[in-house]
Amino acid sequence: MDFKAFMKNFHFATARISHCLAVLTLSICTVIMTQTADADSLKKLRARLPGQISGWKAEPEDRIFDPTTIFSYINGAAEVYKAYNMRHCLSRRYINPNGPPIILDIFDMGSSEDAYGVFTHDTDGEVMDVGQDARYRPGWLSFWKHRFFVSIFMEEETTAAEKAVKELGRAVAAQIPTKGSRPSILLLLPQEGLESESIHYMHHPIVLNYHFYLADENILNISSRTDAVLASYHREGQKALLLLVLYPKTENAVKSLTGFLKHYLPDADKTGAALLENGKCAAVRLKNRLLAVVLEADSRELAESLLKSVKHNPD
Amino acid sequence: MKKSKRVITRRDFIRTGSYAAVGGLMGLPLLSYAADKKTQKSRAVLIRDNKILEPGGSLRKSNLEEIFDEAVTTLLDAEDPASAWRQLVQPTDIVGVKSNVWGPLPTPSHLEATIKKRLMAVGVKEQNIAIDDRGVRSNSVFKKSTALINVRPMRTHHWSGLGTLLKNYIMFVSTPWMYHGNACERLGAIWNKSHIKGKTRLNILVMLTPLFHGVGPHHYSRRYTWPYGGLIVSTDPVAADATGARIIQAKRHEFFGKDRPISPPPRHIEAADNKFDLGNSHPDRIDLIKLGWQKDILI
Repeated sequence: MDFKAFMKNFHFATARISHCLAVLTLSICTVIMTQTADADSLKKLRARLPGQISGWKAEPEDRIFDPTTIFSYINGAAEVYKAYNMRHCLSRRYINPNGPPIILDIFDMGSSEDAYGVFTHDTDGEVMDVGQDARYRPGWLSFWKHRFFVSIFMEEETTAAEKAVKELGRAVAAQIPTKGSRPSILLLLPQEGLESESIHYMHHPIVLNYHFYLADENILNISSRTDAVLASYHREGQKALLLLVLYPKTENAVKSLTGFLKHYLPDADKTGAALLENGKCAAVRLKNRLLAVVLEADSRELAESLLKSVKHNPD
Repeated sequence: MKKSKRVITRRDFIRTGSYAAVGGLMGLPLLSYAADKKTQKSRAVLIRDNKILEPGGSLRKSNLEEIFDEAVTTLLDAEDPASAWRQLVQPTDIVGVKSNVWGPLPTPSHLEATIKKRLMAVGVKEQNIAIDDRGVRSNSVFKKSTALINVRPMRTHHWSGLGTLLKNYIMFVSTPWMYHGNACERLGAIWNKSHIKGKTRLNILVMLTPLFHGVGPHHYSRRYTWPYGGLIVSTDPVAADATGARIIQAKRHEFFGKDRPISPPPRHIEAADNKFDLGNSHPDRIDLIKLGWQKDILI
C-alpha cells in the first residue's frame, strides 16, 4: 500500500471512529438527559403535592424508587410497573392520629401510553372523575394523567379516610396540568359491542398471560417493540375476547402468525378459525403488520364478524 | 423462543378441564396428571379455633399454642408435642425457621416463638436456631442448617396467584425474579437445590386471617381477609398448599358470588407435584384431617 492509499484509509478510519464516538456520546447524553428530565418531572410534581389533606398530614420524608429499588418497596407487583417502563416512583405517607395511614404512590411511566397501560392492568371498581380515568375500590383509588399513574391506598377503610383519599386524588390530578394521549392502537378496535372497561393495553407477554394465559412461551412475540390491546366484546348475547398486536414490520407479524398457528391453532381451517375444546371458537387474521386474534368467541360467526370489523392500521 | 421445547398452551389446560371446572380446583391446572402418578398419600392437618382471634383481631396466644401443638401431634401420631418434635429434629440439628415478614400479613411472632420453644425442648441449642426471611442467604445458622421449618401465612400474590409455603423459599435464591415467569411455575426447582433439598421437616401454613384477593400495588386490603382461624400443618408442602388453595378458591367463590378463579392460577403447586416431585397436590392423594371448629370450613 502506498502512502497516499494509507493516508486515505487512515482518514476514512478516523472519520468512522469520530462518527461512532459522536453517536455514542449523543446516545449517552440522550439517556442522561432523559433520566434528568424524568427526575425533574416528578420533582416538580412533588413540590406541588399537598402537605396535608382532610386532617391527614404528610410525613416529612418522601421516598423515591427507581426500576431496581422498586422491588424493595412493592413486593411482587413491581414487575407490572417494570413491564410498562416505569422510570421512578414517589411514595408519600399521610398520617392522622385518628385514622389509618394513607399512602400516595406516583409512578412516572415515561409516556402517557404506558401510564394508561399500567392503569388498565386493573380496571375493577367504581368509575370516578379524577385524572383521565380513575377507579375506586374499597381502600384504593387509582388514576392516570399525562405520564403519571397514581395510586392512593388506605391501610384500613374508614369513611373519613375514604373521603381523604378521594380528595387527595383530585388534588394530585389538579397539579398535573397536561393531559396525555391514549395508545393509538385503541383506534383499531371495533366499536360495536366493545366493553370499554375490559381494555388492557400492553407490550409485555407477562401482562397478556396475567389477563389471559395463552402459552408458556411468547408465541406472539409481544415485546417493547409491539403494541397490543386485549378487549372483551358482547354482541347480541354472545361474548368474545379480541387481541390486537401491532408489529414494527409486516414480516414480524407474519412470523408471529406462523408461530401462533403452529402452537395454538394447528387445527385452524383455511380462514384461520378453529373450534376449541371448550366449545368456543378462536380465529386469527393478518392485516399488514397488525395481527388480530379472537382468543375466544361464543360462535364462529361472532369471531368472523369481529375480525372483519377490525379497523385497518395506517399502513 | 426455543424450538426444541414443546410449548404448553391454554388449550392443554382446557383439555384437562382445569379452565372449565366450576366449584372444583379452578386455577390448579393439570392436577389430574399428578393424581395418576403418585401412589403414596400425604397427610395434612387442618385445625381451626373460632376463639383464636379477639373481637378486635388480636391473637389469643395460648389458643395458638394449643392448636399448633394439637396439629403437630396429630400429624405425627404422637402422644404429646415433645415426642412429635423428637420425630422431626435431633438435638444436634441446626435449624432454620423460614418465616415471612410481609408487612400487612406476617407470620405471627408468637408462632415463631412457639416453634423455637418446641425446638429447644427437644434439645436443639438456642444458638443453633434462627428465624429469618429476607436474610436467609446471609444468615450463618441457615448457611449451615441441617433442618428447616417452613412457616408463613397464606395470601394471594400478584405473580404466583398465591403466596404459599412453596413460594416461601424464593428467598433462598439470589435471583428471585428468575422464577416469576408463567405465574412462578418453577418455584419447585428451588426446593431441589442442594442447599435446600431434603432439609424441610415441617410446613405450617398460617390460615388465621388469609388474604383471598389483592388490590393495588401493595396487593392488600383488610376487606379481603377473613377470620378463618386455622393452621394447615404437613410434612408435604404441596399437600398443605393445595389444601390452602382450595380454601382460598372457595372463599373467593363465596365472597364474589360467582366463579372468580385465583388469578393468575397458582401453577407452581401443580408443578411442584408433577414436575418437581415434591409432594401431592390432588385431594385424592391427601389424607386431610380436620380438627376443631368446623363451621364455614370451606373444604
